[in-house]
Amino acid sequence: MTWLAITDHAASSGVLREVYDRMLQRPLPPAYRPAHGGAPGIIQAHSLDPLLIPKVFGTSTTLNGAGPLAWPERELVNAITSRLNQCLY
Amino acid sequence: MLARAVSADPRAVAMRWPEPRTRALARLAMLVTEAPWRLSAGLRAELARAGAALDNELVLHVVALSAYFGHLNRVADAVGVPLDYVVQHMPPEAEPATPRYERAPEVVVAGGAAAAASALARRPATAEALAAWRAYVMERDAPLSRAERAVICARVDGHLGAGPGEAAPAGDPVLLELTDVVTLAPWALGDAAFAGMRAQGADDARIFDACVTASTAGVGARIAVALAALARDA
Repeated sequence: MTWLAITDHAASSGVLREVYDRMLQRPLPPAYRPAHGGAPGIIQAHSLDPLLIPKVFGTSTTLNGAGPLAWPERELVNAITSRLNQCLY
Repeated sequence: MLARAVSADPRAVAMRWPEPRTRALARLAMLVTEAPWRLSAGLRAELARAGAALDNELVLHVVALSAYFGHLNRVADAVGVPLDYVVQHMPPEAEPATPRYERAPEVVVAGGAAAAASALARRPATAEALAAWRAYVMERDAPLSRAERAVICARVDGHLGAGPGEAAPAGDPVLLELTDVVTLAPWALGDAAFAGMRAQGADDARIFDACVTASTAGVGARIAVALAALARDA
C-alpha cells in the first residue's frame, strides 16, 4: 500500500495515458525493465502530476544518456545517493 | 563486491574504498547528498593527490546526477512506490528516527535556481531540462499557490546554503515542516509526515505538490551550492 495515490498504466486515461505511452516508447536498458512489464515504478510515482513526468525524465535523459561518467559510474553515484537517503527503491 | 559495500556502508566506500576514482566519485556524491557546502577546492586537490584527478565536466556530471537522483529518492519515498524487481543486495529498511541532515551554516551562493542555471552552462542540455522542470513546478497556481511555492523554495535554499541570507518569508508551519522533512530527512516521508497537511484537508495531489516543490528546489540548490563550494578554498 502506498502513502500517496499511484495510477498505473492499465488504470490510466487521458493525459496520463498519453504520457505513459510516450514514456514506454523510450529506449530502456534491459536491466531497468520492470518484471511487471509496465512503466517503472519511479515514473508511476509521479502519476499524480502527469505533465511533470516528461520534465523530470527529460532531465534524466541528459544525465543518464550522456557522459562523461560511464554507466557503472553513474550507477555508483545513484546508489550512493539512494543509500544515504535510505531510499529502498 | 562494490555493490555489496555500497549497500552495507556507503560512507565507508566514500572514505576508504581502495580504488581512488571510485572513492572520489562516492565522496562527491556523499557530500552533494548530505552537505554540499562542505565541498571545496581543497577537497578536489586532496582527491587528485590520492590519484583521482577529476576534470570539471566529470565533477559537474557527478554533482548534477546526485542532485537529480535525490529527487527520485524523495518522490519514491513520498509516494511509497513498491520495488520493480528483486534486489540482490537489499539494504536495511529506512530508519525514520535517523537524525536529519545538517543545515548549511552559511550562505554559499545566493539564489539557488539562478545560480544552478549559471553553473550548468557547460552542460546546456541538462540546464535547459532543469529550467523547464523548475518552471513547470514553480510557475503555477495549484494545488499550491505561487506564494506557498516561494516560501518552500526560500526554506529549502536556506537549509542548503543557497539562501539570500535574510530571513525567509513566513509560511504555514505545517507546510514548512513537510518541506524540512523532504529536504533534510526524506527517509521519514510517509503517513506521519503528511498528517499535518491531511488534518488541514489536503488531498494527495496537494501533498504531492508540496513534496515535489521542495524536492525540485533542492535539486537546484544542491547543484548551485556544490559547484560554488568546489570553487572556493575550504
